[in-house]
Amino acid sequence: MKRQALTTTLIAYAFLAPALVLMGLFTFYPVIYGAYLGFTDYTIADLAAKEPPRWVGLANFARVLGDPLFQTGVWNSLKYLLVVPVLQIASLAVAVLVNQKLPLMGLFRTSYYVPVVTSIALAAVMWDWIFQKDGFLNWSLRLLHLINWEGRFSWLLNEHTALWAIMLVTFWRGFGYYMVLYLAGLQSIPAELEEAATLDGAGAWQRFWRITVPLMKPTILLCSLLSTIAAIRVLEEIIVFTGGSGGPLNSTYTALLYVYNKSWGNMLDANFGVAGAAGLLIALVGFALSYLNFYLTREERGGRS
Amino acid sequence: MVKKLLTAGVLGLGLLGLGSLAQQRTVEIEFWTYYLSPNFDNYIKGVIADFEKANPTVKVKWVDKQDTMERDLTAAIALGKAPDVVNLWQDSTFAAAQNGLLTPLTELTTQAALENAYYPNVLSIFTVDGKPYGFPWYGWVDQGVMMYNPELLARAGVDPSSIKTTDDLLAASEKIKKATGAYGWLPPVKDPNGASFLGRFFLEGLSIYDAQGKANFNSAAHVALLQKYIDLMKADVIPQELLRKEAFQLTNELYSQGKVAIMIGGPQSLNRVKESNPELYKKTKVVAAPLGAAKVQTGGAMALVIPKASTKKREAALFASFMTSRANQVKFANVVPIVSTARGSENDPNLRPKDPNDPIEVAKGMVSGSGRFINPGFKPPKNTDDIFKNFNDNIEAAFLGKKSAKQALDDAVAFWNANAK
Repeated sequence: MKRQALTTTLIAYAFLAPALVLMGLFTFYPVIYGAYLGFTDYTIADLAAKEPPRWVGLANFARVLGDPLFQTGVWNSLKYLLVVPVLQIASLAVAVLVNQKLPLMGLFRTSYYVPVVTSIALAAVMWDWIFQKDGFLNWSLRLLHLINWEGRFSWLLNEHTALWAIMLVTFWRGFGYYMVLYLAGLQSIPAELEEAATLDGAGAWQRFWRITVPLMKPTILLCSLLSTIAAIRVLEEIIVFTGGSGGPLNSTYTALLYVYNKSWGNMLDANFGVAGAAGLLIALVGFALSYLNFYLTREERGGRS
Repeated sequence: MVKKLLTAGVLGLGLLGLGSLAQQRTVEIEFWTYYLSPNFDNYIKGVIADFEKANPTVKVKWVDKQDTMERDLTAAIALGKAPDVVNLWQDSTFAAAQNGLLTPLTELTTQAALENAYYPNVLSIFTVDGKPYGFPWYGWVDQGVMMYNPELLARAGVDPSSIKTTDDLLAASEKIKKATGAYGWLPPVKDPNGASFLGRFFLEGLSIYDAQGKANFNSAAHVALLQKYIDLMKADVIPQELLRKEAFQLTNELYSQGKVAIMIGGPQSLNRVKESNPELYKKTKVVAAPLGAAKVQTGGAMALVIPKASTKKREAALFASFMTSRANQVKFANVVPIVSTARGSENDPNLRPKDPNDPIEVAKGMVSGSGRFINPGFKPPKNTDDIFKNFNDNIEAAFLGKKSAKQALDDAVAFWNANAK
């Protein structure tokens, strides 16, 4: 029996090995090296001169933490996290709705997924038009008498609305993706459980809270983790809608945009040490938030089976 | 023809020791361009074929890079597989040279040979700390020509021949907006990759640096100029969207829709109009562009540079000089309306318009030979990214009313002088 268990383990690891090797090379090594660079002074000029990184301890961290632009970026990234609960609740709710055997449900499911496969460039053109001063959003608000003609403004050029406007695009792009994940989770719940609860007299709301939500916890954890990480890593939308400036008045400048600008933004002026330190700080925040996600969706231990 | 041969001869002699290449084994050099494929495949491949025919011991492997150019270049250098000839624009050339990534061309040819082949003003764009780092390739002038929608100007009662200066242009823009609802002209105020508003100072004859090289663009005259544009944006004579999009991009979008009356720039601005609104394209008129008080053009150029890490520098220099020769630049100008940076192009008969009724041809005829007027206005400081970001943030704050024009310029100058290395 022991021998068989050993064989099974070896076979499992043999299957895992290629993926682990590739992850080691292309994920873990860059992450570890990037973190190491955060403790060094290493610029593009050093790279050109084939000079090795010089250990400077925590100097880059002090520089990054003292940089008002990074502080603004972190604050905006934290604000960006507000999209996570809204996105998760909305996509779970719609997943429950489209998990019905009703006519045209296939069409609805597909429609919600279209934004996921729409390129950011195309989405940018559309949303750009929506957010303009003479765009669709102001037109709709005027129609509803919520603003007057003089009250129109460009949503992407107002420091109070630009970040929210971009968050709306993130919501629009992510909604279908999480909905499909939730839909898959919902369809894995045995129908008998729902039927038994119905026979016992449980209403739709009770079935949702007592059966659906507890059984969906692993999916909820996965989706909220993915969504949290995506919110911290938001970059494409910011670059596309602000030309990479993080404007207006840095109101959309996120922490990752800081890292990008210090490393990839203008490669020929890159400072890998500063970018590495900022990247490591963001990764630590990401770890903390991931832990929080695990903590909030943890399984109760020692409860009733 | 004799002049052309002489120029080619001088440059050829200047490329030290290159004559002996014919006796060597065949070598392959890698040539990177920036956003030129697939539109210009025929032209680039044609020049490469001509070069290989003239230099049978050198083969050229062409790779077109797009938005990943700079990171690919850095990665290639780090991996020890640097390309041999790379097409960079002026600010990237400057940053790469300052950071020690490029070969000074005087290690491969002579200053005299370069000066004989290219306009000195363009060569100076690629000169960093007294050393030339880029063979000037195709260029552009920002003012170039004025292209306009005659119907919009007529409706506003604006006579295009009366627009001789930037002030005339702004006055016309006010009239056009009032009478038609369309914008007149969209000036670059905050482009993401540069410090556009410094160009406005330069065009109006205001300084950027003092004699000691310190930024000094915060005098009363600078403040007044910035305030003038802020007021125009407040009055919606120029759109607020200019704070978010490049003027070139926004003008291109709106001109075709009849929402902008005037485009200032190179003939390439008309390419999109020709595709999206052929009727408007046919109606478009082209005249000389108005200039600022300084009566100068701004503009820029692309360079062909040779990375320090290249292992075939001499062959690379031979190819780069061939690619950027007058004959080949003039051929290129006939494919797409670039401005040749090769000395003597202003007299080249091949740059005269072929169809006097076609707006692009007319504009090409007026602009292609104006390489001697290309002037970026100022040299970027080291630490460009941080400094330009701060400058643009201040300009934006002034336009959005968060700072006074004076405060914004004072803050930008203070940051510039504290952080420029």
